[in-house]
Amino acid sequence: MNEQEGKTTMIIATHRLSRRSVLAAGAAGAALLAAPAVVRAQAQPIRLGSLTPLTGAGGAYGPRMRDAIAAVVNEVNAAGGVRGRPLQLVTEDDQTSPEAAVRAARKLIDVDRVAAVMGTWASSVTTAVAPLCWENRVSLFTVSGADSITLLPHQGYIFRTQPNSRLQMRTVAKFAVDEGAQRIAWMGPQTPFAQSSIEEFQQVAQAANRPFTSLIYEADKATYRSEVDQILRARPDFIMFGGYTPDSIVLARDLFRAGYQGKVMAPAYAISARMLEALPHEVTQGAMVYEPWPEVASTAYSRLQRLLGSGVEVDPYTAQTYDHANLAVMALAIGGDGNGLAIKDNVRRISQGGGQSVDNAVDGLKAIVAGQKVDYTGASGPCDFTAEGDITGTKFRYQRVDKGAFQVMKIA
Amino acid sequence: MLAEVAQLLVNGIVTGTLLAVPAIGFTAIFAVLRFPNFAIASHCTIGAFAGYVANVTFGVPAAPALAFAFLVAGLFGLLTDEFVLKPMRPYGALTTAIAAIALTVVLENVVRFAFGNDLRGYDLPIFRDWRFWGIRLGPQQVENMALAVSVMAALFLFLKFSRTGKTMRAVADNPTLAAIKGIDADLVGRIVAFVGMGLAGVGGMLLGLDTSIDPLTGFRVVLSVFAAAVVGGLGSIPGAVVGALVVGVAEELSLLVVEPTYRSAVGFLAILIVLTLRPRGLLGEKAY
Repeated sequence: MNEQEGKTTMIIATHRLSRRSVLAAGAAGAALLAAPAVVRAQAQPIRLGSLTPLTGAGGAYGPRMRDAIAAVVNEVNAAGGVRGRPLQLVTEDDQTSPEAAVRAARKLIDVDRVAAVMGTWASSVTTAVAPLCWENRVSLFTVSGADSITLLPHQGYIFRTQPNSRLQMRTVAKFAVDEGAQRIAWMGPQTPFAQSSIEEFQQVAQAANRPFTSLIYEADKATYRSEVDQILRARPDFIMFGGYTPDSIVLARDLFRAGYQGKVMAPAYAISARMLEALPHEVTQGAMVYEPWPEVASTAYSRLQRLLGSGVEVDPYTAQTYDHANLAVMALAIGGDGNGLAIKDNVRRISQGGGQSVDNAVDGLKAIVAGQKVDYTGASGPCDFTAEGDITGTKFRYQRVDKGAFQVMKIA
Repeated sequence: MLAEVAQLLVNGIVTGTLLAVPAIGFTAIFAVLRFPNFAIASHCTIGAFAGYVANVTFGVPAAPALAFAFLVAGLFGLLTDEFVLKPMRPYGALTTAIAAIALTVVLENVVRFAFGNDLRGYDLPIFRDWRFWGIRLGPQQVENMALAVSVMAALFLFLKFSRTGKTMRAVADNPTLAAIKGIDADLVGRIVAFVGMGLAGVGGMLLGLDTSIDPLTGFRVVLSVFAAAVVGGLGSIPGAVVGALVVGVAEELSLLVVEPTYRSAVGFLAILIVLTLRPRGLLGEKAY
C-alpha cells in the first residue's frame, strides 16, 4: 500500500503541483486503499525466501540449491504464476553460521515478508532460524538432519525432506557392522545431532556385540592430536566422523599421523570433494561416505537435471530444495492468502494421500486449478510427511575413496 | 597411564612453544605501550595468510614464508597502531584495549573479504609420526618447534645486544628515565608495534603450518596467548615463554580429567588462578 502511495506521489512530483491534482491523487489513493483486499492482492507478488549456505562448510551445495528453487519460480512465473499472482524469489546466504542465518532470516521475514524460507542446511542454522519462522507464521523447509528440529514446538511450520539423524545413523551403523567393523568409534563436534548419533550407533554396536566408544570434541579447532590419542586408546578399527568438512580434514590428517590403519566413514558432506582436494591421497584412501540419495529414476529428478543443465549430477540437497519450492508453490495454490499459514495448512494435501501424481509445480497448479487432488512425487523421494514434519523413508548411497576419487559401492 | 601423561606433556610442550611466539609479541607491546593489544588475534591471522600466499601462491618454502608473515603482520601492526591505537592511548589503557578489540574484528573481516571463510592448508607433505617409548611426535611438529625456538633466540639476541633492543628494554623498564636519556619513545613504540605484531604473524603461521588456517585462526588462540602472557607476568618476555609452556601443558593435561570440549576453559582458569594468587604472574613484570 505504501509503495502504491509512494509511486503516486512520485508521479505528481514530476508535474507542477497544484492543489487540485494533489486532491485528485489523494482521492485515487484512497480509492485504491478502500478497494477489497483481493483486488490489490492480484497485483502483489508472493515472495519466497531461499536461505542456503552459499559460503562456509555448506558452500559446496548452497548455490545449486538456490538455483533449483529459482528454476521452479521461473517455470511457474512463465506459466502465469500462482492463481495469477507472480512469484518473487529473495535469496540470502546463511554462511553455514547460525548467527549470520538469523540476521538473513530476519531480513527475509521482516523486510521481504516471504511466505516460506527454504533450503536451510546445517542443523544449527535451522535450529536458530526455526523460532523466527514459526513465530512469524512463515513456513520453513529444511534439509537438516538433527532429530531435535522437528521436536521443536513449531506448530506445523517445519517441513524436513532429509531423513532425521536417528534414521541415518541406524542405517549407517548397520552398514558398518556389515562391512566387518569389530571395534567401532564415533568422533564429532558438539552438534544438535551428536548425542542421538552416538546413541543410535551404540545400540546397533551393542546388538551386534561390538565394543563401542565415542568422543565429542570442540568444533573449529586447528588440531585434534589429543582427541585422536584418546580415541585410539580404545583401538577401534572403524571410526565414524560426525562433523563437517573443516574439522574432518583436521581429524583425518591427525588420524593418519597417529598411524591409524582402520576404516573411516563420514557423511558425504563431510568427506567431500573439497576434502579430497585438500589432502594427499594416502590420507583419504579407503574412506567411506554415505548420503541420503535422491530418487534418480524419478521423472522429477530428470526434470530437475534438465533445468540445471545437462550432465550435472544433482546432489541430494539440491533435489530436496527443488521439492521444497514445488511443494510450497502448490500448497499456495490450494488456498489461503499467499502466506506461510497457507503453505503450512496445505502441504500435506498436495504431497500425499493419493490423487493425480505430479512431478512438478506447473502441472500441479493446472490440476489444482482444475479442481483435482494431486500427490507430488519429488526428485528426492515421495515427499510424504509425518505429523511432526519428517519425511518417511529414503535411500542411501555409499561410496569409497580410491586414489582421491569417489567410487560408488552401493545404493540401498 | 604413564605413557598417556608423557604424550600429553609432549603435546603440551609443542603447543606451548608455538604459543610462546605470539605471547612474546603481546607482552612486549604491553611492556612498552602499556595496554593489552587484543588486535594480536587478527595479526596472527594476517601473518598466517601472508605466509599462505607466499607458500602456496608463490611456492616459497615454509621458513622463508615465515619471514614474509613477519613482515606483513608487522607492517599491519605498525600502520594500525600509528593510525588507530596511538590516537586512543591518551584516553587510557582500557579505551585502547577496547579499540584494539574493534580493530581486530575489522581486520579479521578484511581477511575474510579477501580470502573467504574456507579452511586452507599450507603446501606441505603429511608424514606418519615417529613413535618411541609409546610416545608419538610428528616431523612437522619438530620442525615448527625448531622454527619457533630460532625466532625466539633471534629475538633474545636482538633485545640483549642490539642498540634498538636495549632502548626498547629501557622504555619498558622506566619510560621517564628513558625519556631523560633522550630515547625517542615514539620511535620505540613504532618498533615494538612492528616487532610485536610481526611475532604474532609468525605465531599464527606456525600454529597453522601443522593444521589449517581460516579467518578465525587468530581469534581461536588469542585467549591462550593472553592467558600465557598473564600467567607469565604481563610485560615479561621470559614470563611469556614460561606462561605459554604452562598454559600449553595445562590445556593438554586437562584432558586427563575433563572432556576435550571444555579445554578452552583451561585458559580462563589459568588467568583466574594466577590473578588471584599471584597477580604479577609467575615471573613478575620485569621486561627482561
